[in-house]
Amino acid sequence: MNYRVTIAAALVVAAGALAACSNNPIEAVKEAVKSDSASVPGLPRSSSAEGARLAILSPGDGDVISGPVTIVFGLEGMGVAPAGIDIENTGHHHLIINAGMPEMSLPIPADDNYKHFGGGQTETTMELPAGEHTLQLLLGNYLHVPHDPPVASEVITITVK
Amino acid sequence: MIKTLFIAVISSLFVATSSMALDRSPSAEGAELYFISPKSGETISGPVTVIFGLKGMGVAPAGTDKENTGHHHLLINTGLPALDLPVPADDQHKHFGKGQTQTTIELPSGKHTLQLLLGNHIHVPHNPVVASDVIEITVK
Ligand SMILES: [Cu+2]
Ligand SMILES: [Cu+2]
Repeated sequence: MNYRVTIAAALVVAAGALAACSNNPIEAVKEAVKSDSASVPGLPRSSSAEGARLAILSPGDGDVISGPVTIVFGLEGMGVAPAGIDIENTGHHHLIINAGMPEMSLPIPADDNYKHFGGGQTETTMELPAGEHTLQLLLGNYLHVPHDPPVASEVITITVK
Repeated sequence: MIKTLFIAVISSLFVATSSMALDRSPSAEGAELYFISPKSGETISGPVTVIFGLKGMGVAPAGTDKENTGHHHLLINTGLPALDLPVPADDQHKHFGKGQTQTTIELPSGKHTLQLLLGNHIHVPHNPVVASDVIEITVK
C-alpha cells in the first residue's frame, strides 16, 4: 500500500479546494495527514531558491498603529504563486500572528494565528485588538508546506492603540 | 456611403469586443497597483531596487490562469502599450512572469519614468486595466 501517494493525492485535492474556496480544506489536509502519521516525513516540501528572503515591508518593528493594520509582504529571490499551483521557486505568503513557527513538515495550520494568502496576495489589511502583537511571514508551497530550507521573515512586534 | 461607414465601424467594434473577450481577464473592483519603492522624485545612486505593490488582487506566474491574479510588468521610459495585446517584451517592457514582486535593475544616469502594469496569464492587461501612476526618478 503506498500511503505516500494516497496522502499526496489527498493533499492535491485539498489544495485545489482551498484555492477555490477558503478555510476548511486545511482541515481536510490535516485529516489526510493524521490518517497515517507514519508517512508524514514523505510530505512534499519544495526547495527554496538560494538567498531567498522574506520581509515585512510595513509596518516597521516597534510601530504603534491606530485602526486597521496594513501589512505589506516583501519577497526577494523567489516569486508568488497561488495555492495549488506547483511552479519552481514560488510560494504563497502566510502571516503568523502571536504564534511561533509551525511544524515544518506539515501544511501550515489555518486559524486566527496562521493566515493563508492562497490567492497570491502580497499585502493585507486587518483589524487587531489593542495591545502588543507579534507578526512573522512564512512562505508555503502549493500544498501550504514550508519550503526547504524555510523562507521566513524576522518577527516584528507592533502595538495597536 | 454613410451606411457603409456605419457598418464598418460597428463590425470593427464587434471584432475588438470579441478579441477582448478572448484575451483580457477582468480585474477585481478597486484593485490598485503602486510602487512601494522607489518614490516619485527620488534620486538614486547605483542599482535601483523596484518593489511592486498590489492591493485587491493576487500574483500568479505567467501561464497560470486564476481569477483575480496577474503578473507584474515594469514599463521604463515608455507609455502604456496596446491594451488588447500581450505586453511587448523588450528593454522598455520587463515581464515578471515568475511571480516576482520586486527587481533590481541598472539604469543609466539621468531621469527615468517607471510604471507598473498587471498582465494576465497570457501577458494581456486586465479589463479594466490595472496600472500604477507613472513615477519619475533620477539616477546619479
Ligand atoms: Cu497556505
Ligand atoms: Cu508578461
